[in-house]
Amino acid sequence: MLNKILNALKENNIDLYLINEETQSTSEMFFIKKNLDMRRMKDVTKYEVTVYTDFTKDENKMRGFAICNITPDMTDEELSKKLSDTLHAASFACNPYFELPKPSSVKPNVDFPSSYSTEEGLKIMSEALFAEDTEKDCFINSAELFVKNFKYHIISSEGIDVSYSKQDIEGEFVTQCTIQEDVETYQDFYYDSLNPDALRQKVKRSIELTKARSKASRCNLNGNFKVILSGQYASDLLRFYVDRAAASMIYPKYSDFKLDKQVQSEQITGDSLNITLKADVPYSKEGIPMTDRTLLENGVLKCIHGASRFCYYLNTEPTGIYNNINVTPGIKSLKDMETGTYLHIVNFSDFQMDAMTGRFGGEFRLAFYSDGKNVIPITGGSISGSILELGGTIKLSSETQTLKGYKGPLAIEIQNVNIG
Amino acid sequence: MKSQFSTTLTKLKPSLKILLKTLLDEYEYVSILAQEAKGKTYRVSKSGISIADNTLTAGKGAVIKVYDKKGYAEYSFNRLNDKFLLEIPKIIHEKLIPMAGFIPDSISESNYPKLEDEQIVFSKASEYTIDPETLGDDIIINKLSDIHNKGLAYSEKILDCPAIFQYMKTDKLFLSENKDMEQSLLWSAGIIQPIASSNGETHYYHKPVSASGGAEILDNLMQYVDSSCESVLALLQSTAITPGEYDVICMPDVTGMIAHEAFGHGVEMDMFVKKRALAEQYIGKYVASPLITMHDKASDSIEAGSYFFDDEGIISQDTVIIEKGILKRGISDMQTAMHLNTTPTGNGRRESYEQKAYTRMTNTYFEKGSDKLEDMIASISYGFLLENASCGMEDPKNWGIQCMVNMAREIKDGKLTGKVCSPVVLSGYVPDLLKSISMISDDFHLSGSGYCGKGYKEWVKVSDGGAAIKARVKLG
Repeated sequence: MLNKILNALKENNIDLYLINEETQSTSEMFFIKKNLDMRRMKDVTKYEVTVYTDFTKDENKMRGFAICNITPDMTDEELSKKLSDTLHAASFACNPYFELPKPSSVKPNVDFPSSYSTEEGLKIMSEALFAEDTEKDCFINSAELFVKNFKYHIISSEGIDVSYSKQDIEGEFVTQCTIQEDVETYQDFYYDSLNPDALRQKVKRSIELTKARSKASRCNLNGNFKVILSGQYASDLLRFYVDRAAASMIYPKYSDFKLDKQVQSEQITGDSLNITLKADVPYSKEGIPMTDRTLLENGVLKCIHGASRFCYYLNTEPTGIYNNINVTPGIKSLKDMETGTYLHIVNFSDFQMDAMTGRFGGEFRLAFYSDGKNVIPITGGSISGSILELGGTIKLSSETQTLKGYKGPLAIEIQNVNIG
Repeated sequence: MKSQFSTTLTKLKPSLKILLKTLLDEYEYVSILAQEAKGKTYRVSKSGISIADNTLTAGKGAVIKVYDKKGYAEYSFNRLNDKFLLEIPKIIHEKLIPMAGFIPDSISESNYPKLEDEQIVFSKASEYTIDPETLGDDIIINKLSDIHNKGLAYSEKILDCPAIFQYMKTDKLFLSENKDMEQSLLWSAGIIQPIASSNGETHYYHKPVSASGGAEILDNLMQYVDSSCESVLALLQSTAITPGEYDVICMPDVTGMIAHEAFGHGVEMDMFVKKRALAEQYIGKYVASPLITMHDKASDSIEAGSYFFDDEGIISQDTVIIEKGILKRGISDMQTAMHLNTTPTGNGRRESYEQKAYTRMTNTYFEKGSDKLEDMIASISYGFLLENASCGMEDPKNWGIQCMVNMAREIKDGKLTGKVCSPVVLSGYVPDLLKSISMISDDFHLSGSGYCGKGYKEWVKVSDGGAAIKARVKLG
């Protein structure tokens, strides 16, 4: 199909293009309690073609582009019409000129773990999923397990021709506890290698949290408190700095981040943030080799990241778009954070961190409140705050965790968060 | 005009029927759902102009479901040529069915009976006025550019005014031993999202329009530019709300979020199968004020979440979930209904041919009442008018509410004061909120510019809304 697409581009005199081929094979299992409810397989190949066209407007050099989807069995006629229509559409996408990425001699620094078969993936990870599901009153209610194999091929008119393969295991499960109140906890998981221990530990922790939630009382706190966020929410909050440092946010002035500017806070009373952008694929969607880059050094912005267009407009090196970060841990242990009056939130219904406004918040389903003497599990309250105001108070735990797209502190502490 | 059914699927149909017949020799129940879904998203903003084919829910491919006398298995693929179709029985026999052997010893295979397969031959198409596919990229971009420029010119504090238009034409063919069904659907949606910034504060406001229909909705967008810009400038002056319980007026978009997120997910009956929904224990009981009647309605092309049959070949319908405050029934897909020994309601939906079908909502709303909005506002001595729903998350097990609202306008002595709080988290216990509803407006509005996920995936097109309601809620 790739040759057919290349021929059709030539026939339509399309000189500037980017082709992304993705082949995906997955095996999926769906469980209700300890029953296999459904099994599924998927084999799909998709092509996305970006077509560029140059023109001038008011004596300015412009570069329009449009993106189309190609399916594997398109006829020559269908393919030609699709690409011709896309070129026509591109001529109305009146954007300032930008350069497309060229082939690079930079070696990507991503090492993928050793590969495994789908059968192996399903067997090992389904065993791990249910290994801790041994109790009568606190158990896995339902679960989904996906073993995915991907192949990517990127070809551009500038001479880029790179490919790579990737595997991942992902899914979700719900743990239910009927000891006191009948409650549940939702968890999702993602691993780029066979990691049965991590999944087993995640289930175990989820069962413990669900037990705690079954004993939780309704939140009746009002006011400002020291809040500790742990697990996924530490990652969600810190991702604000990654989103704000994206060229696509800075170019339209949604973000005021500038290189070498202190972006965490003018007054840091907590820990200075050190964040590294980690490459999780060898090449970006445009074929740019991905390497690890320092994002924040002591709260100072060291990298603006993004695809070629916005980076060109900002006159900065195109880096590709990053999904993964490493955050340097702090020196304070979680135990030391849990002193005095605090609220340690371990489960939200849906935590929101808005990169545009800097506001964060959500309703929590389980938190541990300490009045300085006693610690009690509570549920049903909500928090809200602005990282633009509170970023300087962030303290990072010395303990670390590894999650999808994140390696860094297990917990973060923020002062003066509003709770209602 | 009526949406035209896919010529690709029409040409493919004889080959799929041969494949179906071959598979029926080995399996008691077989169905094939083939889809061709295509559309574009146009966006004009300060970031530039983009035109791209849609990816979410889009694509051309098929999914086969087979019954192996114990349970159900599915195979999704997108090579739709005769040569590959001939290979599929072998893939199902040698790879898909044996997957059941990979489960741990502690896990059993489910034991389902064969699905009922009613005789239905069916072909329907939704209607539209302007075909977005033939309208022309230049015309669409020009209209969006006018909206964008008008927004930018409104105030120097308007940082950007993205204007977005999206459409999707989805054709589906469902085949089983007794069914031969075709449908062609078209929905369109547009959004204006002015962003304002001043003294380091940034806020945005979004105004969606949508329809089961075509590009005719584009002409509606322009009329909302001024009011959307005015709202975002008001948000720049917003303060944090003092947490507490308040009398509120929820505008239809917030009503819709309550109907959909707080209650609707809890009556998706696949949650009943898993014993994950409190609603199962409340069938036939009061869960809301007697003023409340709630529907999930996929039929009659009322909004973007409409269709004629679901992804399991069940004809769509209008399901009355709450009638005058009493929970009457939930909504279900076919396998769930079989499990619970109930009748499927035509709510078995897939993100696309690539994903499993789950019980999903369609167009979910509260019926309108008889109150005037101005009377509702006048009835509040101190409270807030809530508008611009941002996001929400379901909690069917415990009926907890989490809904984020972008704008809370203060009401004092029956009048809007001009003071605005933002953002606001609406929380509490669902039946408490629904039972507190004391007034319902006589207007009605559905909005379907977004998608609904099951958890954090499985996106399907939905709409929600209804009337404005007066209720007492916890805000933080």
